[in-house]
Amino acid sequence: MRVRGPRAAGSSCGRVFCVGAGLAPARVGTSPTPTLKRGPSRDRGAQSAPYILLLLLALTIPVHAEEIRGRIELLTRGGGGPARGSDVRQAVVYFEPAAPVRAKTEATAAAHAEPYRLVSRQKEFWPRVLAVPRGSRVQFANDDPILHNVFSVSGANVFDMGFFKKGPGKERTFESPGLVRVYCNVHQSMVAYVLVLDTPYFTAPAADGSFVLAGLPKTAGKVTVWHEQTEPWTAAVQLPLSGAAPLLARIEVTRPQIPPHLDKTGKSYFTPGRDRYGH
Amino acid sequence: MRAVCKIGSGHLWLVCAALAMSPPCLGAQAPGAEGGQPPEAAPAEAPEASSGLLPKLTFGFEGRANIRHSDDNRFPVKFPFTPDMLPPGQTHAFLETVDAGTHFEVSKLSLSVDAEWSPGLMAHGRLDFLDLYDRNPTSTGKNVDVKEAWVRFGRETAEGTLPEHGGVYLKIGKFNKFERQNDRHLESYGVVSTAFNRFNDAGLELGIDLGRHLYLKGTATAGNPVFLRDPNALAGDNGTPAFLQPFPNPALKSGIVILYDTEVEDISTSRDPQVGAGLGLRFADAAGKNALDILAFGYKRKLADGVEHSGSFYLGDLQILRGPFDKAPLPFHGDEKRDAGANLWLYLGGFSLFGQYVDQKLAGLPRTGIEGEAAWSFDLPLVWAVGGRQLFPTIAPAVRYSKIDNQFKSNPLSPAPSFAWDWTKIDAGIRLGIVAGLDLTVEYAKNDFILGSGATAHNNEYLGTLRWKI
Repeated sequence: MRVRGPRAAGSSCGRVFCVGAGLAPARVGTSPTPTLKRGPSRDRGAQSAPYILLLLLALTIPVHAEEIRGRIELLTRGGGGPARGSDVRQAVVYFEPAAPVRAKTEATAAAHAEPYRLVSRQKEFWPRVLAVPRGSRVQFANDDPILHNVFSVSGANVFDMGFFKKGPGKERTFESPGLVRVYCNVHQSMVAYVLVLDTPYFTAPAADGSFVLAGLPKTAGKVTVWHEQTEPWTAAVQLPLSGAAPLLARIEVTRPQIPPHLDKTGKSYFTPGRDRYGH
Repeated sequence: MRAVCKIGSGHLWLVCAALAMSPPCLGAQAPGAEGGQPPEAAPAEAPEASSGLLPKLTFGFEGRANIRHSDDNRFPVKFPFTPDMLPPGQTHAFLETVDAGTHFEVSKLSLSVDAEWSPGLMAHGRLDFLDLYDRNPTSTGKNVDVKEAWVRFGRETAEGTLPEHGGVYLKIGKFNKFERQNDRHLESYGVVSTAFNRFNDAGLELGIDLGRHLYLKGTATAGNPVFLRDPNALAGDNGTPAFLQPFPNPALKSGIVILYDTEVEDISTSRDPQVGAGLGLRFADAAGKNALDILAFGYKRKLADGVEHSGSFYLGDLQILRGPFDKAPLPFHGDEKRDAGANLWLYLGGFSLFGQYVDQKLAGLPRTGIEGEAAWSFDLPLVWAVGGRQLFPTIAPAVRYSKIDNQFKSNPLSPAPSFAWDWTKIDAGIRLGIVAGLDLTVEYAKNDFILGSGATAHNNEYLGTLRWKI
């Protein structure tokens, strides 16, 4: 499991209300998000009381009633077939209620007495993808006997840990939601992603792409599938869902495994050797 | 790894750059395909401002130690040297391997300094000591040499990189030629780069970036005198004071020599300057991982009658073409030297390819050269470390092919008939990164040349180089 987060696994009380496989994924910011077809609801009382639900969320009273089951298929560009070499387990699936659940998110983050860990090991980051609720602490440890650096220039989460040797490393609290691309200023191929989420509801798919988002509130919201090699896939949902088919996210792989990036000073990792004077 | 000193406001502080300026495994990079995604924008580090007129100083050191094994070859020449001009008992002269057998030698100690007032104003100097493989003659050439000394106004863009925008720079002093390959992966040189652009020139260089892709170069320089040397590691001894003694028998031999553009030792106002121009086009992805750079260039100058050279009584330029005592001239005419050529640099992640073609008219003596070097740099898995740095972080096999086609015939009496031999040199080796700043290169040079008789002969060499840079 590469993605850590609250997993109210095993919930069987929620019904599976799903969309048909033919639902087209929505690209964030490029097309309107489709609204899921809703089947007959068996809990109209909860649907008719969204404000009560929001109030419950704000009071951090968990409402573990619903779940979303689904499956992710990573496809080659053009959708011709499965994208071999792209690890679906590196995806993150998360549900964002239409109304904010800030208090619960922060409570989830605070519930982690120990910080999340992102370790430099064998010149790679482990895990490669780390989803955390906003406000979480992440410890950047170094298991290698060599010096590593950890930095990011992503949005509001800009940081530079400097160089540090083998050991527990350094810690940072992520207060700003968003994708944090993490790099090492020494090793260009070291890439990790910290997905700082403004929701406590997230999970990672199994090797076959299946996932279960459980313990969800009965409310409207949006399901997002994030994967480092694809555009984000989103679908609007209204919980409880109607229907029986699992959510199917068929997503084209369009990005390389190692994203093009510059070093922490904004310079290329590759060009110093080409400079006749070495600067 | 560089030591950086900043002088300012009456205080001097040394910033150890072991971490800040040189990451512990610099150069380690994994090959791999990337798409055309734009790189994540990183804020450029604010340049460390110099204080007033005082620059930021950066010092560097480089040392090289070598193990060399050279084949033992010699080829008779017909020049009528008198007996007292030859070693005792010899009846005629030879072109001979400079120093056959296995030898250990420290070939270079080098100090450098950069002075940067701003990104648009900097100076650079490099002082080489020993410089064994670049001396000519080997035993009596200058062993302390100002290799580079220049001031540059404006920003210069390295090969295979894109500037952020157009710009102009002017460089004044002694610097390497703009068409030279600067990121060789072997210690040896190809026969083409040795012949045409291995050594630095002195004068002015103007560079203009017309936007990000198109660029121009222009030079007005002293011009490298035409001289002779062996294309293997050691240049050989020719015209050294030892040869002024009767029956000379120097330890180092002549080498199997080619004509080449040698080191500029002074800026003489008595010689006509060399003018050069280049037109280039470059492309690169925003992360700088993949790049293509092509350059067309040309030079023109008037050869001097003779140019003095440290350690040798032979004179360069036309005197070399005339032969000793003007008795065995090559079939040259006029005094114009023209070079025209084209370069290609290709970078695909850890793979690099350099190619060069040169067409030369040396006082009417036509010759062409073609050279290509391919190298792959692989990141090695982390197994051992020392001092927080990976042991053996990279390995880079490389192969180079170079060929000179001399389209003129030598004088039958020439003491250096090899001037006219068609020559192919293949260098193959591997460079192993030991730890940041320290690497070992092991390579083999296969020289094939076609004698006047039409037979093919060889003068091959193994070379191991331990290089330490700080």
